[in-house]
Amino acid sequence: MSKLFKLLSLFLAVGVVAAACSSDSSDDAGTTTAAPAETTEAPATTAVELDADGSLLDTVIARGKVHCGVSGSAVAFSETQADGSVTGFDADYCRAVAAAVLGDANAVEFVALTASERFTAVQTGDVDLLMRNTTWTQSRDSDLGMDFGPTTYYDGQQLMARVSDGFDASSTVADLDGAIVCTNAGTTTEKNIAEAAELAGADIELLAFETSDEVYETFIAGGCDITTTDGSALVGRKVKQQPADQEWVIFPATPISKEPLGPTYGQNDSVWADVINWTVYATIIMDEYGIGSSNVDDHVNDPGEVGRLLGGEGELQTVMGLSADAFYQVIKQVGNYSEIYNSNLNPVGLVREGSANAGWLDGGLIYAPPAR
Amino acid sequence: MSDFNVTGAEGTVSIKPPPETPKLPPRLWIKENLFSSPFNIFLTVASTGILLILGRGLLSFIFSHERQWGSTATNLRLLMTQAYPEEQYMRVWVCVGVIFTLTGLSMAVWNAGSRVALRRLGSFLLSTGVVIDILTLLAPFSSSATIIWLCVGTGISLFGGSLVKFSDEDKTMSVLTVTVIALAVAILSLWVVPYGHHSFVFERTPRSLAEAGTVALTTKLPWTIMLLIGIAAYFAGKAIREKVSQNVLRVSVLTIWFLAPPALLYLVLRDPDFDMGHVLNTDIPIFLVFAAVGAGLLFWLTRPTAGELGKVIAAITLLIGFGSFLTPMRMIIRILILLLAIFAISAPTFAGDTQTRRRYSLGWIGVSGVTCWLVTAINTPSTVEVPGSFFIGGVSLTLLIAIFTIVISFPLGILLALGRTSTMPIFRILCTWFIEFVRGIPLITILIFFSIMFPMFLPKEMEIGEVASIVIGYSLFSSAYLAENVRGGLQSVTRGQHEAADAVGMTTPQKTLFIVLPQALRVSIPPLVSHCIGVFKETSLLAIIGLFDILYIARNVIPNQTEFLGSVRENLLFVCLIYWILSYQMSKASQRLERRVGLGER
Repeated sequence: MSKLFKLLSLFLAVGVVAAACSSDSSDDAGTTTAAPAETTEAPATTAVELDADGSLLDTVIARGKVHCGVSGSAVAFSETQADGSVTGFDADYCRAVAAAVLGDANAVEFVALTASERFTAVQTGDVDLLMRNTTWTQSRDSDLGMDFGPTTYYDGQQLMARVSDGFDASSTVADLDGAIVCTNAGTTTEKNIAEAAELAGADIELLAFETSDEVYETFIAGGCDITTTDGSALVGRKVKQQPADQEWVIFPATPISKEPLGPTYGQNDSVWADVINWTVYATIIMDEYGIGSSNVDDHVNDPGEVGRLLGGEGELQTVMGLSADAFYQVIKQVGNYSEIYNSNLNPVGLVREGSANAGWLDGGLIYAPPAR
Repeated sequence: MSDFNVTGAEGTVSIKPPPETPKLPPRLWIKENLFSSPFNIFLTVASTGILLILGRGLLSFIFSHERQWGSTATNLRLLMTQAYPEEQYMRVWVCVGVIFTLTGLSMAVWNAGSRVALRRLGSFLLSTGVVIDILTLLAPFSSSATIIWLCVGTGISLFGGSLVKFSDEDKTMSVLTVTVIALAVAILSLWVVPYGHHSFVFERTPRSLAEAGTVALTTKLPWTIMLLIGIAAYFAGKAIREKVSQNVLRVSVLTIWFLAPPALLYLVLRDPDFDMGHVLNTDIPIFLVFAAVGAGLLFWLTRPTAGELGKVIAAITLLIGFGSFLTPMRMIIRILILLLAIFAISAPTFAGDTQTRRRYSLGWIGVSGVTCWLVTAINTPSTVEVPGSFFIGGVSLTLLIAIFTIVISFPLGILLALGRTSTMPIFRILCTWFIEFVRGIPLITILIFFSIMFPMFLPKEMEIGEVASIVIGYSLFSSAYLAENVRGGLQSVTRGQHEAADAVGMTTPQKTLFIVLPQALRVSIPPLVSHCIGVFKETSLLAIIGLFDILYIARNVIPNQTEFLGSVRENLLFVCLIYWILSYQMSKASQRLERRVGLGER
């Protein structure tokens, strides 16, 4: 009997310890938000759930880091470099958002996502936004629960062929009759070219490959007459991979599909959406005024739109929940639209002049609403 | 039959070794084996021709001017560790150093390494030199390069030939010495040729990817130090072996080996930022309470007279452990209660005199201490900042997932196999269902499920990293297959063994632990090793779900860098080489293990 009594008291002791520790842990969870406590019920440091009343903006500011979903393997848009850093057009827009929200362009954590997992990552809160060559489509906008920001790059599917086969810049899809066309398997490019060829009455043979590299290896070796994918990728491949004994040409001038690429985020969070949209608009407006990272310091006190955007008299950034100099930091640390475009896309042969990505004053589509 | 000499009454059997096959001189050997009949002559000529054509094709691929080997050389760091920050590279080398020390120590403790005859070594070098010469002639080298490589090949051949010619018949050399000499030559070459150097890039202006004076810049000094550390550890191990008893030494070295992967990973590589206040106020008190209470309980439970009451207490502990999931509390407390329950349940097996009981209690203190320490380290945020969701990638991630999956699925698989062969219907049915269910699903499905869907099934507050959830899924998958391999071994243990164990009064756990499992596992070594190699190689499926393992980096990341657009073939060849080297080492190790336990001889 005494044994049993001892035993019971032992369990009582264990129970008391456990109870004490559990109440302690709930205290922890309440007070610390920066460091995860040693419980499974860790405070929401990594879980970014859209609360009914709070915006993602507050979560990101509290966390001190923007989680940005990128491809990590898209030439000139988001490349993983040899030292592990991520560079490119998309990566720079991630940095721009970090500069606007947190004042530090380097406060970004890049999360490399595959095409299939990108939207899940936004839904589960693994990333705050996507800058991952995501085309704005009706189904994604409505069905998938995504919202899209202003388009940063107007892309479109084009075709590439050899000049020696009789193609030139004025060729059209109708000239493809009887050609073998290589493309990536399982993407919309495959569907687009089939539709376009049917529309133009051309009879083509489609060859689909798993990776882009296989497509171009086959094209170089002569296994196919035409390759097709987004125009931005074709230009890069032409610059880097065109052999000395071949001449490639990209056509038609008007792409066979529209691929507007831009920031993507979860739906129904206007505060967060406004921050991202106006970060993009700020880079475009500053480009219109010709203000870049090198001369932004001279224009901080300018009157009107520039002054307001850079945090001067009548600024609206504090209304959006940002600091007054948020967009000054964007321009200073990352640059305006032209700077971001030229430093990343010029090396692969993509130029703004004459393309859809020229400013609206130069006949392009890049346009921003006024800041007032 | 004349070789066998049975000497009746005592039952001793002396077996003469089989007569040695006389060695043929080379010319006769060739005639006997390669040109013995017209058909054989045809086969020899045809296969030689095919081999030469294949060799020529491979070499002209590797040494073609179109190959961008610069992409592999420049991105070596990405391929090995993804984005581990260079100022923290000291940590990587510390890990390599620990592994070298342990290897050297183990070599000494287990007295590893056979001896090889100098003549055999000589003939090996001779043929290596000849192969180098042939390959040089096949490769599309410039004439000066051809001459240099021919000289190297001929030099090696001559050295080997002189060894064959001038060394005594029975003169031998330790394999360890040969290995150390080979490693030393390889490391010495690092000082002369700048390969593996970060700035070594072919087609463009050399650009150093690391700052001068940092560990990340070069590998020559660290590797030299590593070799010296390994040799020093070997001699230290030899010295210690003289003083300490074999068993204690072996058990402690094995324990360090098992603790090394989590410790290196979570403490050294991940560099947790410990909150000392929290550690002192919460973690250490929890450990102390559990260590003291648990040790006392176990000391009491291991009394030979504990009987039924002991079993009831163990069962109650287990129930408390499961019940703890109903109320919010620290995870570590739940884990410790469950661990204590396992110790309490197996206590009767270890009942005995005071010394055994004290040892068992001390074992509990050790295990709970290690558990507390690891859980604390894992839950503390890392100070290593890298882009991406995990602090390592590339080969390191491949190895990490493979090692953890193998280590976790081994006990799990053995338990499943025991459950499936058990006489208790509930366990048998559950285990059988689990095994058959998991074996019916492709691995890639499980990986996709655990990387994308699994986090959604967790309670709202619970977070689990992608790598952790993949290790869980992969371990479940691997344990099902492993269980079937072990079950094969279990069935090979004859009834007589079971009956003999029962006859001497062993309990079921004792019988399983000390009689059945050792024999069953010995038999299943070959399938288990091929399973491990399979687990290691199938980590390449991770590339499909977008984890930055070596294959994903080689196939998707590097070919999409502006500088190295389209350099996919070079990197895939490199990945093949890495996979082959690691898998081959594993199968070599298993061959040694088989020889050691005498598989196929007894």
